[in-house]
Amino acid sequence: MTHREPAWRVAARELESSFEEERGAGERSASYVLSPFGARMNRVLLTGTLSPAEPIGKDPAQPFWRSRLSDPTGAVAVTAGSFQPRAMTQLRSSSAPRSAIVVGKVHLYKGRDGTGYLSVRAEGIRTVNETEERAALADAVRQTLDRLDLLERLASNPAVTSEELMDEGVPAHWITAARESLLRYPEADRAQFRGELRAAVRRVAGVATPGEAPEPPPTVQIRRDPPPPARAAPSASERAEESLVLEFLDQVAEASLDAYADRRELLARVGSRGLGSDRAEEVLTRLEDEGVVEEPIVGKLRRA
Amino acid sequence: MTENEPASGPREVRLRDLRPGEGPVEFVARIVTCDRREVSRKSDGGRRALLSGLLSDGTATVRFTWWDPPREGVERGLVIRAVGPEVGEYRGRTEVTFGWKSRVGPASEVELPAVDPAEVPERKVRDLAPPGEGFRVYVRVVRVTERSVSVGQERRVVYDGLVADETGTIGLSAWTDFHLRVGETLEITGGYLRAFRGVTQLVLDERATVRRVDRPELPDPASVLNSPPVTMAQLEERGGGPSASVEGLVVGLLPPSGLVYRCPECRRGTQDGSCRVHGQVEGVADLRARIVLDDGTGAVTVNAGRAETERLWGVTLEHVLGRLKERPDPAVWEGELLETLLGRRYRVRGPASHDEFGVTIQPESIEAADIDLDATAERLAARVGGGRP
Repeated sequence: MTHREPAWRVAARELESSFEEERGAGERSASYVLSPFGARMNRVLLTGTLSPAEPIGKDPAQPFWRSRLSDPTGAVAVTAGSFQPRAMTQLRSSSAPRSAIVVGKVHLYKGRDGTGYLSVRAEGIRTVNETEERAALADAVRQTLDRLDLLERLASNPAVTSEELMDEGVPAHWITAARESLLRYPEADRAQFRGELRAAVRRVAGVATPGEAPEPPPTVQIRRDPPPPARAAPSASERAEESLVLEFLDQVAEASLDAYADRRELLARVGSRGLGSDRAEEVLTRLEDEGVVEEPIVGKLRRA
Repeated sequence: MTENEPASGPREVRLRDLRPGEGPVEFVARIVTCDRREVSRKSDGGRRALLSGLLSDGTATVRFTWWDPPREGVERGLVIRAVGPEVGEYRGRTEVTFGWKSRVGPASEVELPAVDPAEVPERKVRDLAPPGEGFRVYVRVVRVTERSVSVGQERRVVYDGLVADETGTIGLSAWTDFHLRVGETLEITGGYLRAFRGVTQLVLDERATVRRVDRPELPDPASVLNSPPVTMAQLEERGGGPSASVEGLVVGLLPPSGLVYRCPECRRGTQDGSCRVHGQVEGVADLRARIVLDDGTGAVTVNAGRAETERLWGVTLEHVLGRLKERPDPAVWEGELLETLLGRRYRVRGPASHDEFGVTIQPESIEAADIDLDATAERLAARVGGGRP
């Protein structure tokens, strides 16, 4: 089943609090960012005030723009690059802050020291009026509260079965997400977060001003994770494999029209030199973890 | 050890009671479908005529194979009497073969066994699942429309509808005019079930019997059609349904959306000026939108045709065609359509089918939806605690 990923309705604060992820295992499986409050997000739908976009990135051939979307609970970076041409045009279309609905993919980048940078890569953006913004925010608050209630139920009664919950109409993937959240964020302060949603409710009621987060939020949210355990230094033979993979990556990239190396083609090439695809995947994963190689598009690799 | 030959001739049976290996039988049944072809013998390459299809007598439907059938006069609808057919089984389903040992000839309608509705078990709509026949249901007609289809060379009228009982709704497809009218309560016997794109349908043909009955307790059409929306997660779990109602926000479009070109013969979409069936054709311009509607629990695809697309977009096909010189790229139009629709809230109702890509709704209605912000804010305030907003 190639199910379309639903667009989770979340407030910005929930995204700011998320730093756990699940990487898909296979070549085409989705990856998810897991929040402390029961969302397991690949795609999200956000609403709030979108700031004017600023260009980031050095390569003029690969334009990349970033805005900040703020709602009454917090703010999150929204980006679009040349691979999302329509969203990029939309992101750049305004020089003044405006109310908007943004649909996009959640992206969590973790630096070497475990610092996480969460952003939403826009798939679609539309400037909306106040009523639409308040209605979309109402959805986000309602579903967030539904998820918080589900978490409380599971936390107080771990014996409740998924079947019982599904009979009550709780979506199966919400139950999976909630159980995973409880495991991965045992310290999450749900009562505090529930209180933080009050500002959003005031906005739904039309009382609060739009998207005025308490203080000007940073463009990216920085979190400290415990640093990953140090890896043993690679052996000489591992280094040799790495250089083989990199050599072919450069060759494949050179020959391709889009300057990316196709993952499958690369695996086939190194395979012909006796490096099996399992082993080659391991090497690629290591190179990606070390920040030498990146995969900005699924199946397309380049040097970072 | 001697075999017990029955003293008299073959037993007359109903198709429901047909079992392999129970001695010679005879039955009367109607040919429901039939298909004539020839097969080559391996031994000498000679051609041998063969007729195969389905037989029904109102109690069951069985597949038949008829070797060396009469050259003409055997067609769909004919009632036959078969004496001494071979009775076999394939994948748990009974089959009959008419060979040189069997005698098959025309019979009259009145010889068909009379099936008393009371004889077949009553089923509730919720429990109907294919394959199934030989049951009786009591339903209310919620909706019925007429459509014309081509079956082989022939044009036929099909009556599509929706019927309901207190346990659910099911789509109905009648190949005979039973003069169905919205609001009527019916007793249906002799229908059969099939799955069409993952959704069960009740099919009625000339074998079926429809009787008007008095069942005031069956839900009325308005309450069935105005049923509140279900979550998309629920719709996905159920695998669609004959009359689904959902509400959500537009989060994307699937290709092809916007300006499309269709084959003038079959209306399939063309690709690079070529139709999958009819080859190189002059495509006819059309508008459509394959809307991805999402409610946060799941997503469905809503296939909007030209009229709906024009209404939602506020742009007509004429307008697009008039500006093709300046903007020839369909992707630009698709982009504009997405920018118009993204994040809009709609309530959609219609039959929902289910396949490996998820749920697709063929909309009967797409309406802009609003929410009552004040009431919602009040409810949410109560849930977050901390007093009124």
